Amino acid sequence: MEKKIGVYICSGCGIGESIDPEALSAVAGEHSAAVCRTDPFLCGAESLARIKADIESEGVNSIVIAACSPRVMTDVFDFPPDKVLERVNLREQVAWCQPAGEEDTLMMAEDALRMGLVRLKESQPPEPFIAEDFSKKILVVGGGLTGMTAALEAARAGYETILVEKEEKLGGYVKDVYRLPPCDPPYENLRDFNLEDLTAKLSSEPGVKVYTGAMVASVSGAPCMFDVEIRQNGATSSERVGAIVLATGSVPYDASKLTSLSYGTSPDIITARDLEVMFKGGDVKRPSNGQPVGSVAFVLCAGSRDPEHLPYCSSACCVESLKQARYFKEANPETPVYIFYKDIRSTGNYELLYKQLQKDGVIFVRGGVTGIDDDGSGALVITSDDVLTGSPIMSESVDLVVLATGMVPTSALGEPFKVQAPQEGAPAPVASDAILVSNLLNLKYRQGPELPGLEYGFPDSHFICFPYESRRTGIYPAGTVRAPMDYQQDGTHAMGAALKAIQCVEMVSAGKAVHPRAGDQSYPEFFMQRCTQCKRCTEECPFGAINEDEKANPLPNPTRCRRCGVCMGACPERIISFKNYSVGMIGNMIKTINVPDEYDEKPRLLVLACENDAYPALDMAGISGLSYNPWVRIIPVRCLGSVNLVWIADALSKGIDGIFLLGCRHGNDYQCHFIKGSELANTRMTKIQETLDRLALESDRVKMEQVAITDFNLIPKILDDFAEKVNSLGPNPYKGF
Amino acid sequence: MEPKNILLEMKEYIVEMGAETINWCMQCGLCTNLCPWRLVPGQTSEEFNIRYMQRLGQMGIEGFEDENMLFACSTCGMCQNNCPRGVKIIDNVRAMRASIVGGGMPPAGLRPILGSCHANGNPWSGPRENRTKWQEGLDIPKFGPDTEYFLFVCCHSCYDPRSMKIARSIAQLLLRGGVSFGVIGVEENCCGESMRKVGDEELFQKLAAANMELFNANGVKKIITTSPHCLWSFKNDYAQLGAEWEVLHYTEVLSRLVAEGKIAPSTKSGKKVSFHDPCYLGRHSGIYDAPRGLLESIPGTEVKELGRTRELSLCCAGGGGRIWAEVPMGERFGELRVLDAVATGAEVLATSCPYCVNMLTDACTSLGKQDVLEIRELSELLVDSL
Repeated sequence: MEKKIGVYICSGCGIGESIDPEALSAVAGEHSAAVCRTDPFLCGAESLARIKADIESEGVNSIVIAACSPRVMTDVFDFPPDKVLERVNLREQVAWCQPAGEEDTLMMAEDALRMGLVRLKESQPPEPFIAEDFSKKILVVGGGLTGMTAALEAARAGYETILVEKEEKLGGYVKDVYRLPPCDPPYENLRDFNLEDLTAKLSSEPGVKVYTGAMVASVSGAPCMFDVEIRQNGATSSERVGAIVLATGSVPYDASKLTSLSYGTSPDIITARDLEVMFKGGDVKRPSNGQPVGSVAFVLCAGSRDPEHLPYCSSACCVESLKQARYFKEANPETPVYIFYKDIRSTGNYELLYKQLQKDGVIFVRGGVTGIDDDGSGALVITSDDVLTGSPIMSESVDLVVLATGMVPTSALGEPFKVQAPQEGAPAPVASDAILVSNLLNLKYRQGPELPGLEYGFPDSHFICFPYESRRTGIYPAGTVRAPMDYQQDGTHAMGAALKAIQCVEMVSAGKAVHPRAGDQSYPEFFMQRCTQCKRCTEECPFGAINEDEKANPLPNPTRCRRCGVCMGACPERIISFKNYSVGMIGNMIKTINVPDEYDEKPRLLVLACENDAYPALDMAGISGLSYNPWVRIIPVRCLGSVNLVWIADALSKGIDGIFLLGCRHGNDYQCHFIKGSELANTRMTKIQETLDRLALESDRVKMEQVAITDFNLIPKILDDFAEKVNSLGPNPYKGF
Repeated sequence: MEPKNILLEMKEYIVEMGAETINWCMQCGLCTNLCPWRLVPGQTSEEFNIRYMQRLGQMGIEGFEDENMLFACSTCGMCQNNCPRGVKIIDNVRAMRASIVGGGMPPAGLRPILGSCHANGNPWSGPRENRTKWQEGLDIPKFGPDTEYFLFVCCHSCYDPRSMKIARSIAQLLLRGGVSFGVIGVEENCCGESMRKVGDEELFQKLAAANMELFNANGVKKIITTSPHCLWSFKNDYAQLGAEWEVLHYTEVLSRLVAEGKIAPSTKSGKKVSFHDPCYLGRHSGIYDAPRGLLESIPGTEVKELGRTRELSLCCAGGGGRIWAEVPMGERFGELRVLDAVATGAEVLATSCPYCVNMLTDACTSLGKQDVLEIRELSELLVDSL
């Protein structure tokens, strides 16, 4: 595309008072802009009309808006997709954070404009990836409460849905559930649950196709082009689907491991699940002798919140046990009922159920159960600590002890796909995803056949930052496979996952990225002639987007891609680029920075700022009127994981004194929008620091820092500290070469 | 530590004795922190924890019968009024006491009190015939078929020489205001409020039955009480037993008389006066404004509100049978109350309950503050001013 550049410099919002627009016009001239205008109110209707006129009459097709942050006014500076747009942030990151009228302030603005012009010149309008045989169908795996709800909701929203259930009958866990906890005022009474109603609704929904007694034998392809093999009664059916909801649920924790709670020593020590089945069957009696249950004790957190068993809270067992205690109290208010607990976690309106059970006279004992023993007559006594009296207590004899065992997600079952052996002495590698061969989806993905687990085998993706996401594009876990939850949350999560799936098929079929770069039409392209089959891109892609052929050539799947550029950062041959984001482009932006010689005593610091958190934090520092170091030159990157090490070399050979990477928090509570990007960057930086040391270049010149969006007030100090450190090292010896 | 045994039978017994809401308690402990015992040092303060006591009650675990714990509560109602679960804590205390006292094991200090009630119809070991001794020199009408109000004088004011002045001044004010009232006399029995609170349910039932029979036989429809405790018992305990009287505290009647101009305090007092809200008048019965109105009707009175006042009033420690307890100096709530009054610069601490007068007077004396602070019953100030 022949570029005809129009540069529009705004002097409003204090920019004009801070920087001389004429001086900036000169920079535009150096870069042979066809049109360059300064305007006191660039986002006004008149000014926009003038830009539009330039596009139409002057043939301007590449537009630089040198004004406010690219994070704002996106609806105002919105041009047709065949035009290339570059936003230069003069307001938040120059005028509002630097002293007005200073020479250094102007130099910063000039560099910002230079870098913007280089980026503009090297950008091409993206061409969306669209295949002919895209499918918008939604596959739901697992026909329990969550899966049935997700299928029903997706179908009602107008999407053809396929539901696969491994058992002959739909229902999953709820098949054996007698009644449900309350969900309506006054939240004290249990409610009936009719599985047949839900099944009937589903079967009367024309958009739903149900496979029972079936399993997913394999899933190949990518969003909107998933090819699914469904095995049913020895036969195999094929379906092409757009997105997948994984609702395979959980199983109760294996009670036979609970020897400390005497499981196995008496038939009258049962699990909550056993008790539910008894009530469902209308046959509640002591397993030991078939006599009625005259008294009962519930032991909560049986195997949950226990480092020996499940370290996490299984979330639903408190309310389930309250519900089951209510079964007994409803049948006979005089029945002695005990609940031994660590904490009662009956959130929201369930508090009212808890209160009702207290009023019903259930004996609640907080503290650890220390023993469940035969009283000599075949009944059981429980000893426990009671924090409320500060002493151990002993129950009267009870007929039945019910252990509220926790939930184990079906994704946590199975052997690891790949065992990682730690290397002696080597720096800790970025942990590859924990993927178990759990036989749920059988993905034909190079990185493994199932969703990667985050913690405890739940295939989550940091719920607080990225609700309903997994680490495989187009696959959305819902219900207890995703996290421990109760019936009500199951319903909400089923709807959430169905909506995510719908969002996915709609975006992908229009050639757009899904969360977090929603709407992005660029995608990575591989210049295969120079590929050395090193496998870094296929190994490191946080989303398993790249498969491999038998010769280890990468096989990208653009619709699995989230456009983070981690592959681009990983590639030693620099063969991976986006139309509007590439190794060469950022390298040339670095090279266009004006680096004064060492006698000017104006060091230069390159800041590669993650556009998700660090860049907004820099903006917010400006918005808050904080001023920071004038030597910094900021380049936003899609993710620190996209930072290619050659940029460090580019910057150092240009004479830039220090390179600072600002990105998201990594580790267990990561905030990286691309999960592993900042962690990968961190690992790569430790490697480059070794190289720098070898070249007798101080490794302190390159530093990485984790910032959250809320850390904006720390930005001045973070930058000043780094500047001071770099200053103490003296000027970059390559300056002037 | 040996585990303590849960005893559901004991728990059920306590519930039957009246602790109907003990299960509602979620053990948050707000009660313990609001308890006036937290404001004083000493053994009782350290041992008495109302949250813990209810926890033991919830599980029927032994240990609550310890006298320092079980009989410490003065039933001031501070915890109960603020309980987030609406637990009737005083009923729970009463029921737990009843589970012990009902078994014939009242604490030694209470035995003579209960015995006197059985024998004389009053807890003060006063002969029944002396019940009307307070009337000497006054022409107090006998309650008859045409009398509107029955004036029920608290046993304390029938037998305690200091307290008799309270009955006398109230009667004088009613006479002055032209109220149609009368007393029945020596057949009257203690209302039994404190007996019930210390857990002697049987004694209370006996006293209440006798009173109801007597009052109804005399055609009583409306009652004026001198003490907020009798007021509360007639309005609540007796109502549960089927009584249908209109029951008023004397301050309510007098404030109406003042409003109607039938009583007009005229002598200037020129004193700074603080008013102490009795628990059973304030928190328990919701009467806060009537006594204050009366105080303000006395010309020249400068009313000094205490720091903790109305709903937050600090108990004198005389309720719940505590009027008979021996409490070491330095651990008496009344002392704090006297200091509250001294801190406001009051010269007089007025109240309208015979128990409060008794407790506060003792406290004032034990602190040696009698030269700077006078403890008076409200009715006495009114009589002075007529």
